[in-house]
Amino acid sequence: MATVSLRNIKKTYSNGFKAIHNLNLEIEDGEMIVLVGPSGCGKSTSLRMVAGLEATSEGDLYIGDKRVNDLEPSERDIAMVFQNYALYPHMSVARNMGYGLKNQGLPRDEIRRKVEKAARVLEIEHLLDNKPKQLSGGQRQRVAMGRAIVRNPKVFLFDEPLSNLDAKLRVQMRIEIKRLQQEFATTAIYVTHDQVEAMTLADRLVVMNGGKVEQVGPPLDLYEKPETQFVAGFLGSPGMNFMPARIQGQALLVQGDHRIDLPDMAELAQWDGRDITFGVRPEHLEACSEAEADFHLKVDIIEPLGADTLLYGHLPGSDSLMIAEQPGKRRYTRGDVVPLRVDRERLHLFDAETEQRLNE
Amino acid sequence: MHDNVVFNNKVLPYFLLAPQLVITLVFFIWPAGQALYQSFLIEDAFGFSREFVWLDNFIYLFSDDEYWNSIRVTFVFSGLVAFSGMAVALLLAAMADRVIKGATTYKTLLIWPYAVAPVVAAVIWWLMFNPSIGILAFLSWTLGHQWNHYVNANEAMAVVVIASAWKQISYNFIFFLAGMQAIPRSLIEAAAIDGSGPFKRFWQIVFPLLSPIAFFLLVVNVVYAFFETFGVIHATTLGGPGNATRTLVYKVYEDGFVGLDMGSSAAQSVILMILVITLTIIQFKFIERKVQY
Repeated sequence: MATVSLRNIKKTYSNGFKAIHNLNLEIEDGEMIVLVGPSGCGKSTSLRMVAGLEATSEGDLYIGDKRVNDLEPSERDIAMVFQNYALYPHMSVARNMGYGLKNQGLPRDEIRRKVEKAARVLEIEHLLDNKPKQLSGGQRQRVAMGRAIVRNPKVFLFDEPLSNLDAKLRVQMRIEIKRLQQEFATTAIYVTHDQVEAMTLADRLVVMNGGKVEQVGPPLDLYEKPETQFVAGFLGSPGMNFMPARIQGQALLVQGDHRIDLPDMAELAQWDGRDITFGVRPEHLEACSEAEADFHLKVDIIEPLGADTLLYGHLPGSDSLMIAEQPGKRRYTRGDVVPLRVDRERLHLFDAETEQRLNE
Repeated sequence: MHDNVVFNNKVLPYFLLAPQLVITLVFFIWPAGQALYQSFLIEDAFGFSREFVWLDNFIYLFSDDEYWNSIRVTFVFSGLVAFSGMAVALLLAAMADRVIKGATTYKTLLIWPYAVAPVVAAVIWWLMFNPSIGILAFLSWTLGHQWNHYVNANEAMAVVVIASAWKQISYNFIFFLAGMQAIPRSLIEAAAIDGSGPFKRFWQIVFPLLSPIAFFLLVVNVVYAFFETFGVIHATTLGGPGNATRTLVYKVYEDGFVGLDMGSSAAQSVILMILVITLTIIQFKFIERKVQY
C-alpha cells in the first residue's frame, strides 16, 4: 500500500507528438482513481508510465516515498490487469498466477498457498489446472485479477479490463473489482473510456482530454459541477444539452428568444450581454404546465427504457437536437409538443470561448 | 465440422481431380514403382543383363560400412543444418522484432538469400573458403589456423553446413519473425511486470509460444538438408574428403550415375522414399493437430 504522485509529468514521443502535457496528480493510500476520457486522451499512456512500460519524458513519479522514474516495471511493486488479460497461454492458471512469485524466488509451497488463497477469493479454485484457452472471458478476467492480487502489490493498475466482456458480465465484474479493491484497500489506478464504469468505481475521477487533465474530483462533484464544457458533456448518459445563449439582466436568452429567469447570482451583472453556452442535463428538464414552461420540445424519437423515457426532439423554429429524460410511466407519441422546465438549481453556464464554467 | 459439400454429378469430381492424379501418377507413382522394381535387380552397367535378386541389394547395403557412414554423415549434416539455421534465424528474428528504424529494409535484406539457388550459395561459400583464394580461409591463416576443407573432414562438413544453412536462415527467419509479431505485446509487458528480465522473458514466454513454429521448421529443415542439398555438396566437396560429406542423396547419385550400380542406387532411393514418407507422416500428425502449448 502506498501513495502515488505524478508531478509535472510530460510525455513526448520521438516523432514530436505530445501525449501528456503536464500531469499532476496526488493519489492517496488505498484510493481508487479512475482515469477517463475519449481515446487518444493520454489516459493509457499515463497508466503505462506509472507501470514503467513507457518512459516519462519529464517530471517525477513517486510510489510511496520512492522516485520510480528509472526503475524497471518489476521493481515498482505494481500489478497490472490488461485489456486482453495477457495470460500466458502455455501455462496453467496456477502457474499464470504464480509466475511473478516464482520470479521473486519464493519457495514452491508458499507460492501454491498464496495462489490457492487468491483463487478462493476469486472463486476460481476449480480452474487452477486449466489452460487459459479453456476458460470463458469472465474466467480469464478473474485469473488476470488473481495474478495481480497474489503479488500483494503496492498499486493495482487496470487498463480497460472490462472492455472485452459482454454487457452483463461487465456489470458483474465491475462490482467484483470494487468489492476486491475495498477488501484489499490497495491503491488503484483504473483506466476506462466508459463513463458509467468511471462513475461507479472511482473514489476520485480524473477526466482527461487531449493529453491534459480537465478536472479531478469525486464522481458526483464532477457530475454536479463540471469545470469545463468537456467534462459536462463527457459525464452523464445521455449527454448534456448545450445551447448558445446570452445573459440579459436577470435572465438568460437561449437561442435568441427562449427566456429563462435565473436565480439570484452576484456575478450576473458582469456577464451582461456576454455570449455563453447554456447546458442542462436531460434528467433536469422536467415536464410542466404551459405556464411554467421554459421550452417546448417537439418529440421526434422516443426511447422507452422502462424506468425512464428518453425524448429526442428539437425546439420549434430550431433544428438543434435536445434530449429530455422523463419518468417512464407517462406515455408519449411522436410529434407531441412537451412543455419543459429547467431545474434552476442544476443549470450550467460556460464561457462560449474558453469553455470554462461560469456559475457556482 | 462443416457438412461436406455434396456433388450430385458423378463424373465431375473425378474430372476435377484428374490433373492432380495424372501428375502424381506420371511423375511420382510411376518412377517410384520403377525404383522399387529396380531395387530388386542387379544389372550390368551397359544394360545387357539383369537378374532378379529379391532383397540382396538391401542386405548388401546394410552390411556395408560405407552406407552406415553415409547415414551417420547425413544425420550429422541435417542436425547441424537444422540447428544452426534455426538458431541464427531465431536470433535475427528476435533482433528484427525490436528494430524500429529501417525495419522493412532490414527484413528485406534478410529475406534475399532465399532467392539464391542452393548451388549458387554453395559456390559463393566455396569461393570464400577456398584455401588458395578464399577470404575466409585467408582470415583463418592469418589467425594461425591452416584452413583447408580439401583435406580436413570437419572443415569440409563446416563448409557444406554453412552453405546449406545460410540459405535456409531466410526461410526460418520469416516464420520466426511472423510468430513473434503474433505474440501480443501485453504478454511481454505482463511478464516484465511479473519480474522477468529480457532473457528469461524470451525463454519462458516467447520461445514456448514459438514452439509450434519451431517444430514445423525443424521438420522442413531436416527434409531440406536430407533431400535438397545435393547441389551444395556437388558444387563444393563432391562428398569428400574421404566420403566425409557424402550424404545419402549424394551416394545415390554416385553409386547410380558414377558407379553405374543401378540396383543399389535404386535400393537406396527406396530407403530414402521411406524416410520421406515417415517425415511427412510425422509432420502431418503433429502439425495437423498443432503442437499444444
